[in-house]
Amino acid sequence: MSFLHPLALLGLAAAAIPALLHLLHRRTPPELAFPPLRYLSEAERQSARRLKLRHLLLLLLRTALIVVVVLAAARPLVPVRGGGEHEPTAVVVILDNSPSSGAVVDGRPVLDRLRVAARESIARTSAADRVWLLLADGVIRAEGGGREALLASVDSATPDWRRLDLVQAVERAARLVHAEPLPGREVHVLSDVQRTAIATGHADVPPGVRILSLAPARGRPAANRGIASASVAEGAVLVAVTSSDGGDAVPLTVRIGTRDVGRALAAPGEGAAVSVALPPQRPGWWAGEAALEPDELRADDRRPFVWRVAPPARVAAGAAAGPFIGAALSVLRDARRVGEGRDVIVGDVPTGSTGRWVVQPPADPALIGQANRALAARGVPWRWEGGVVGTPGLLVSRELEQIAGAQVTRRYRLESTGRGGGEGEAAGGDVLATVNGEPWLVRAGDVVLLGSRLDTAWTGLPAAPGFVPFVDALVNRIVAGAAAVTVTEGTPRVEFRVRGADTVGATVFGLDPRESDLTAATPELVAAAFGPGALVLNDVRLAAERFAGTRRVDASTLLLALALLLAAAELGVATLTR
Amino acid sequence: MPATRLDLLDPADVARLGGIEIVAAGVVEGFLAGLHRSPFRGFSVEFTEHRAYQPGDELRYLDWRILARSDRLFVKQFEEETNLRAMILVDASRSMAWRGAPERLTKRAYADRLAAALALILLRQRDATGLVTFDEEVRQVIPARVKAGQWTRLVRGLLDTPDGHGTAAHAALQRLTALLARRGLVVLLSDLLFDRELALAALRYLRHRGHQVIVFHLMDPAEVELAGPPEVRFTDPESPASVVVRPRELARAYAATVQREVAAWRTACRRHGIAYHHVQTDLPFGMALRLLT
Repeated sequence: MSFLHPLALLGLAAAAIPALLHLLHRRTPPELAFPPLRYLSEAERQSARRLKLRHLLLLLLRTALIVVVVLAAARPLVPVRGGGEHEPTAVVVILDNSPSSGAVVDGRPVLDRLRVAARESIARTSAADRVWLLLADGVIRAEGGGREALLASVDSATPDWRRLDLVQAVERAARLVHAEPLPGREVHVLSDVQRTAIATGHADVPPGVRILSLAPARGRPAANRGIASASVAEGAVLVAVTSSDGGDAVPLTVRIGTRDVGRALAAPGEGAAVSVALPPQRPGWWAGEAALEPDELRADDRRPFVWRVAPPARVAAGAAAGPFIGAALSVLRDARRVGEGRDVIVGDVPTGSTGRWVVQPPADPALIGQANRALAARGVPWRWEGGVVGTPGLLVSRELEQIAGAQVTRRYRLESTGRGGGEGEAAGGDVLATVNGEPWLVRAGDVVLLGSRLDTAWTGLPAAPGFVPFVDALVNRIVAGAAAVTVTEGTPRVEFRVRGADTVGATVFGLDPRESDLTAATPELVAAAFGPGALVLNDVRLAAERFAGTRRVDASTLLLALALLLAAAELGVATLTR
Repeated sequence: MPATRLDLLDPADVARLGGIEIVAAGVVEGFLAGLHRSPFRGFSVEFTEHRAYQPGDELRYLDWRILARSDRLFVKQFEEETNLRAMILVDASRSMAWRGAPERLTKRAYADRLAAALALILLRQRDATGLVTFDEEVRQVIPARVKAGQWTRLVRGLLDTPDGHGTAAHAALQRLTALLARRGLVVLLSDLLFDRELALAALRYLRHRGHQVIVFHLMDPAEVELAGPPEVRFTDPESPASVVVRPRELARAYAATVQREVAAWRTACRRHGIAYHHVQTDLPFGMALRLLT
């Protein structure tokens, strides 16, 4: 309720006048002789209760009369419900056709229900209203094409592949309607109201904007499982399965093309993933797909993945590479994992400005300075600290699991010079392995630096079983740089990036894994996200509340009638109860 | 017949014509001009009518023929001639000296003039008439006589009795019973603002002694209908008691209380064979006297 003249409410203080008069206006009455005092006392004794009740009733009536008159003077505007015209209103209809709206609940897609509600919201608007439609694509559609165009957009809406952040959407919509100089401002949120959709803070809703949110359908949410991610590393695809209700492991199928290449049971849960080995493939780009059995939400049952099988690198060992490098390369050459050539050179000091280099520190400490200058000339933003020997320790690496745990007994500390690296090559971003938390293996462009020589006098790695695979990864994958595979939200597919005749990267599109959690937000969570004034309503109540906030009537006439009734009642009590 | 009958005028207007003697004489002249027979009935030889038997009536006046025929008790009444002995009792307490408006007579003034007129009527009928004034004490006692100058004595007795103090009428009435040895007519003029049961006990005793008792309950009109300023402290002239009221609020309840009180007096008097008349001080004297006929 609001008031046209709120200052008039100050007059409510006058409501205390009857009580104050009663308390303060007690003067000494005149004194008169009256012989039949006994009759008077008897009459008063018999009427005491009635008189007390009368006085109280009169006090209440007079106080209520003042209050009602003051309220009437303030011209209260009372919201009314039901049919009839509403005042001009700016309204944004948010139709959440994000992937989760494709879930089937009780045999009916969620989006069908949302579309009906959106259609009704738009159909209830009048020519004096301003209405917009916001879908999961984030585009706010104005009514420039007329209501019919908006209704057509609603009717043609299908589950999108993009996730809608409801908090941001509501905030944008609220700001939009707030800017409109119309008496009513409403945002209709027609969504399945996933808890993951509103868990990102709270919308800053300007005062006067009503947020009406359609409540989720009754009944238990559909038990859904979806593939959260699928990525290839070291010849295997790593698949993470998510679920809105935990649950048991589900069958997972991995396909390349139309051929099933692997099956596994995947347990849903955060941090859990199942690894499925991929068959060896020829060098080149390969795409596959991980798939679950269909459930209520089909959109997250399949997810593509892509990987690149690189051709054997042509490697040459420098003069000071050491015997262990030479032996490892010989083994790899026999296995055709590397070839003869100078695509990659393993040595002490990079010479020239081209070529890929795996550089280990010089055995002679006196050559450290020369090597650092060569690295700087090459633009490498790393150097060995001269004369500073790091403490021994164990190798730690997430990218190269085969060297993790190997003992390092001697090393130079690698320090970043902060020069030469691009924006995406922060000092910590190229560290591939550490010892005691300090960089031991770093990559800068097409140069890879080691903190120790690959020699048993420096590290136990050459004697470890993982040494040859490590050298294989070093020359075939690390120094060549990882194939640029990015993951983004969109219709599940793979797009390759080409440069000239070469394919230089790929983008894998898929569903935002948060869409797989169909658990609806609680009203408390909605209130926290959309503001305490937000209303979460079922279909019937939403129909009643639409534009109800703008249907207001001036209640002053009613109050004046009530004041007349009170005055009549006061007169009646004052005269009839004597 | 006088051109203007004083007995039918407003008592206050009549009182302004002169003293008690003049007023009473004028009232009686007018009153008697309207009557042709004695209004008072005694026990003489001239039969007038029957009335229902009441406890205290002498059995010798029972009409045995009616008893034999209808098995009901009736006594015969006879027109009295000269043997009536009347005593007029006037309440002179302080409450009687009150009036609700300056233009009205006080209850005492009204009672004095009514008593004088009544005495004059009785004396003219050759009935022995006496006077007693009282408040807490018996103030004046003038024995019943029929000789010449009796009325003047009665009037002087009224004039010589000042307004008294509190009323304890039952005590005075009990003392009066001893003074009224010979049975006759007893007329009490009072505002009856005293204990009803105790007063009735004395009146019952008089009735038991064979007196015919008539009670005039005098009230000022302002005592019947409560009025006054919006809020007022009413004090009792005969005691330190007081009460603060809003007359407009209490008027209806007060009127009902007065009606109940009057009804209670009337019922109690009737039960004991006592004639009771409620008279307001704005009632013309002739109308008040007519209540006795």
